[in-house]
Formats: sequence, structure tokens, C-alpha cells
Amino acid sequence: MFKALGDPTRRHLLDRLFERDGRTLTELESELEMTRFGVMKHLRLLEEAGLVVARRQGREKLHFLNPVPIRQIHDRWISKYRAHEVSALLDLKTSLEDTA
Amino acid sequence: MTTMTETTTQVYQLYIRATPEQVWDAITNPETIARYFHGAQLDPGPLEVGASRRTWSPDRSRLWGDNTILECDPPRRFVHTWRSLYDDELAAEDESRVSWEIEPARAGTSKLTLVHDKLEGAPKTAASVRGWSFILSNLKTLLETGEAFPAEE
Repeated sequence: MFKALGDPTRRHLLDRLFERDGRTLTELESELEMTRFGVMKHLRLLEEAGLVVARRQGREKLHFLNPVPIRQIHDRWISKYRAHEVSALLDLKTSLEDTA
Repeated sequence: MTTMTETTTQVYQLYIRATPEQVWDAITNPETIARYFHGAQLDPGPLEVGASRRTWSPDRSRLWGDNTILECDPPRRFVHTWRSLYDDELAAEDESRVSWEIEPARAGTSKLTLVHDKLEGAPKTAASVRGWSFILSNLKTLLETGEAFPAEE
């Protein structure tokens, strides 16, 4: 999973799915300066890591962001008490960066 | 806060060290559900298409859900309607749909996929049910260790 996340193109693909879930390869490919083959390879790595789930819907294959593995990482290293502090710090960071 | 554009289909997938029958039991047995789903109390009832699934708060004072079974194919596929009755705003939205798919996977594990879709008329519900990640992680922990996460405050 960390290998899958350790690549800017793959993080970009996850960002695109986070914005809008359930996209086709063609749609994702149109937003990247990369060959269809390259995007397929990255998507396969993301699928193997469990971060993306591909499902057939009619004639199309749609790609969905699977939040469960990220939740499991969260649960492993962030206790429920510390979650509030972390989230407050992230809110602070976001608001400071938005006003900057 | 980062906001997420709501989509009308959400997919959650995980592997659980359990047989498909054990996973099926965990998603249909009221006693097990109470242990990983915020203490929810599910009324016992027939597992068949058209039957209703009523869920109550832990003290049974509030109706949390009154859903209908749409498909029932043990231990593979279980589909039911969804409406969040625990909150008036969510309850006013359109009904959506939850599908549980269980497949045997390698090394004695099962692959569980939860698809929550038909959320077109339920944008607030779509935002709120992102908590499925937590519920499913809790279900996995319960099946693998016999213990769910500590009760929430």
C-alpha cells in the first residue's frame, strides 16, 4: 500500500477519484499526460494495494476509491483520543493556508 | 476542511480472515450486528426478499432504520434498501440501496464488498455513510479477534 501511494501519478489518480468517484479508464486517461497503457499499469497497482476497486457497470468498467485500507492505517496509529487533536491541527493548517 | 464532491455510488472492499458463512452470519445476525454497528438492535425476522429489517438505537427508544430486503442469496449476496431514520434531515431524503457481496478469496479469507448506491436523491446521507469504513473495520476486527473496538463515548 505504501509503495502504491509513493508515486505522484498514483496519488493524482486517487485525488481525481476523491473528487468524483466511479470513473472509467478513458476519463482518467484524459486528465493525465500519459499513455493509456501507463494509466492502466498505475491503476492495476492501486487495485492490488486495495486502494482502488474496479467494477463492471453495464459495458463500462468503473474505478472507485476504496477508503477502507486508509481507515485501517488510521485506526492502527491514531487512537480515538488523539484523532481530535490531529483533526484540529489539520483544520488549522487548512484555514491558515486558505487565507494566505 | 476539505469537502468531497458527493457521488451516487460508494464502494468499500476488504479481506477478512473468515469463511463466507461467518461473514454472512455477521451481516445478518442481530447479536453480531449490535457488536460492530454502534450497538444497533435489529429486530429478528425472516431473511427473505420483501421482508423488513428494523433497527433500533441500543436502548430501543429510537427507530434507526426500517429497510426492506431486496435480494438474499446466502452466503454470497445480500441487498437491502437504506434510509437513515436516526436523523430527521437524512430521513427526509430519498431511499438508497446497500449491497453486500461476499466471495471466497485466497488463504482462507473472504472478500467483502459493500456498495452503497442509488444515492442520487440523498446527498446528505451520502456524506454521512462514509462511516462505512469504520463499521467494516470493526466487523473485520470482531471476526478475526472475537472482540470489537472499545465502545464509543
